[in-house]
Amino acid sequence: MTTAISHRSALLALALGLSAAIAHAAPRVGEPAPAFAAVDSNGRSVKLADFAGRTVVLEWTNHGCPYVQKWYQGGMQALQKDATGKGAVWLTVLSSAPGTQGHVDGPTANRMMKEQGAVPTHYLLDPEGRVGRAYGAQVTPHMYVIAPDGRLAYAGGIDSIASADVSDIAKAEPLARLAIDAVLAGRPVAKAQTRPYGCSVKYAN
Amino acid sequence: MVHITAFFRPLLVALLSLLPALAPAAESAPSTTPRATVSLLSASDALAPGQTVELALHFRFQPGWHIYWMNPGDAGQAPRIEVFAPAGSTVGDVRWPAPERHVDGPITTFVHQGDVLLPFPLTLPASLSGTTALSVKASWLVCKDICIPEEGVFRLELPAGAAEPGSDAPLFEAARAAAPVRTDWQVSVDATGQLTLRGAGAGTLKAADFFPADWGRIEHGAAQTLTVEGDRARIALVPGAEFDAAKPLEGVLRATGADGVERALWLSTADQPVVRTPVVMLAAGDAPPSSGGTAPPIQSSAAGETGGLWPLLFAFAGGLLLNLMPCVFPVLAIKALSFARAGGGEAARVRRHSLAYCAGVVLSFVALAGLLLALRAAGSQAGWGFQFQSPVFVAAMATLLFAIGLNLSGVFDVGGRLASAGSGLAERGGLAGSFFTGVLAVVVATPCTAPFMGGAIAAALSAPAVVTVGIFVALGLGMALPYLLLAFFPALARRMPKPGAWMERLKQALAFPMYGAAAWLVWVLSQQSGADGVLHVLVALLLVALAAWLAGSAQRGAPRACLWRAAAVLALVIAALAVGRTPAAQPVAAASAEGAYSPQRLADLRASGKPVFVNMTAAWCVTCLMNEKVALSTAEVQAAFAARGIVYLKGDWTRADPDITAFLQSHGRDGVPLYVYYPAGGQPVLLPQILTPGVVLAHLEPGP
Repeated sequence: MTTAISHRSALLALALGLSAAIAHAAPRVGEPAPAFAAVDSNGRSVKLADFAGRTVVLEWTNHGCPYVQKWYQGGMQALQKDATGKGAVWLTVLSSAPGTQGHVDGPTANRMMKEQGAVPTHYLLDPEGRVGRAYGAQVTPHMYVIAPDGRLAYAGGIDSIASADVSDIAKAEPLARLAIDAVLAGRPVAKAQTRPYGCSVKYAN
Repeated sequence: MVHITAFFRPLLVALLSLLPALAPAAESAPSTTPRATVSLLSASDALAPGQTVELALHFRFQPGWHIYWMNPGDAGQAPRIEVFAPAGSTVGDVRWPAPERHVDGPITTFVHQGDVLLPFPLTLPASLSGTTALSVKASWLVCKDICIPEEGVFRLELPAGAAEPGSDAPLFEAARAAAPVRTDWQVSVDATGQLTLRGAGAGTLKAADFFPADWGRIEHGAAQTLTVEGDRARIALVPGAEFDAAKPLEGVLRATGADGVERALWLSTADQPVVRTPVVMLAAGDAPPSSGGTAPPIQSSAAGETGGLWPLLFAFAGGLLLNLMPCVFPVLAIKALSFARAGGGEAARVRRHSLAYCAGVVLSFVALAGLLLALRAAGSQAGWGFQFQSPVFVAAMATLLFAIGLNLSGVFDVGGRLASAGSGLAERGGLAGSFFTGVLAVVVATPCTAPFMGGAIAAALSAPAVVTVGIFVALGLGMALPYLLLAFFPALARRMPKPGAWMERLKQALAFPMYGAAAWLVWVLSQQSGADGVLHVLVALLLVALAAWLAGSAQRGAPRACLWRAAAVLALVIAALAVGRTPAAQPVAAASAEGAYSPQRLADLRASGKPVFVNMTAAWCVTCLMNEKVALSTAEVQAAFAARGIVYLKGDWTRADPDITAFLQSHGRDGVPLYVYYPAGGQPVLLPQILTPGVVLAHLEPGP
């Protein structure tokens, strides 16, 4: 009888451990940021390791998502210009699978960036969702900041008001901007894990 | 009795829908988009001063579309509701129904779909008197594969008085009955995320699914493991980004008890209610004007498309214009020939022939109406011109026109023996010939949806059967009118040329429009069934030519005529088989070509703020091809598109395509051409069905 119970407990512990492992596939703030390699919109291969020792910003995008559109009326471009001007690497990541909303090829991505005046360091094409799943990116825009030591310093929302209304940007706490500025200045991030908001990332099923 | 009820029910519903104009409404005007119909309801027909009334937003979603719960999960956003009410009012938050789990790959959200009621209380000031206008401005994110933010302003006017339950009270009752019930179980959570429930019935749970009321407290999509022991249930949750065992954990548990019935329970580890930012807020200032619908209304010049005599008038005008449409041209040839024949006879005979032709036209339209009704009853999405989407029909028409051409060329004569063949029917002498000429005119005219026709057909499709038939009769009368006028005004008819040897030459010359039309249909078929389809129809044409020659030889007195005739019949049978086996339409490669219309592409482009011009066309639609040639593909229009950054999307309806059929119907049309311009961020504009560069440019100008 005791054996039976302990077997059950062992199985339960195993099951719990497994589900925790799955859920924890997404990195937590303070842990090393998962390494990745992806092709950018110009067909070049880009690795996270290329930017060792620098502050790296990851931005998940989908141009059809109303929340992304809210930010591409100038807010996102300003954030990109500011961060890259201060020495950060900005990687825009597109994890929409082919046939889903927002999926584009490299030339289209380049044309859209030109039209919008977007200035990321690279626009990464992640149609199989490998980078997205490694980071547990759930929404567009989902924001991450990686510190020069390679640890994840920020994961969460671009700001504090979950809405698709551009007029809310001015009223919200600029969570991503605060995190980027803190990491660039070598300070700890006050709110390092926040609630992301937006459309779901359109992963392949 | 049951039948009578079933018969009168729609009538009753229609009458009831008129009532809000007469009685105080307990339901606002709805907002309708292709995704959902939303309205504001009141549980009572009157507002009692100082009392609380229950209001609710009522969402009815198209399949697959959903909104989000108070905690949307990994993505999405809960609705927001602003209430404009008299000073001194207070509001409470939404009494949320139990959410459903929506798993999309690694993303789990908590959603509401189908028929959803979001009730919330409004407490009115004691000073309330007279009629009070309540306005509610709501915004919600509605998602399926994509997400669209929608909003609406809903308005109710209710008198002050004793709050009796209104007609919608049962909906509120049902929502109350289904809402999560607060348990008296002891609920606790430990530092590992294990939720423990202790109390009567907890130990016999068969299944449990926990939905946290606040974002990030647990991993929304992680597996939840239920174990039971004694009077306890334990649910192993995976702590999320915002997990804190010291803070209260609340949420909805969908719990299946020992009886196998699932119930929605409200769990809380706190003794005190947890305060959250409410979804419902009292608004400051004046209410914005009520919005009929959140989808921008289509600006259309064809206002008043339904109702009254308009559909009949449009149909009549459309029928008249059909006579001028390019694809009726081959049939005009037959009509002209008939005139030439009738011109020699006396006035009475001309009248009889014109009436027979008119009857042929009108009865054909009635037959089409019957077919449309049958298809509609069968739930088919029948569209105008649908016959020409069938490759077998196109092949048969090509063969028929070719055979008529051979007859006109004099290869064979049509006698009584081939009376059953369509080609023979149209070319027969006498009243029957005139009748079937009318029939043929209708069949060939089908793909030419003349201006006004789209609205009339749409009205016909959505109207009661009697109206549908009426519309088709009007179409037929319009088409036959010129012929009738000529017949009944002898002054006009007498100007017809006298019969003579020129008639035979004219007849032979008229064969060539027939061959031309046949060639055009072979080209159409090449787009529908590819090279194999063309091979089938060419074999059929060859065999028809052979049959015509064999029949003609027999008619010219060749020996053993019955053998020639038998061979002709055999050739015709094989031709019919070839036509009947024309390969079915090939499926279009899924929106591969750049510039091909797909609902997704249109939504994407519009979402990205680009102006879009949509052209719905088909290879068998001559009007469409003409418009492309003379207007859309001109350098002038192309330059205007480029200058404005307009993305040009083309939908090809040559083959049946449910997406395009749906698009046409959403614009009140059932045929091509259809041109819609979507300005960036503006309201879509319908263009006329006959285009010139000037017409297109005029519609591209910024609206008022």
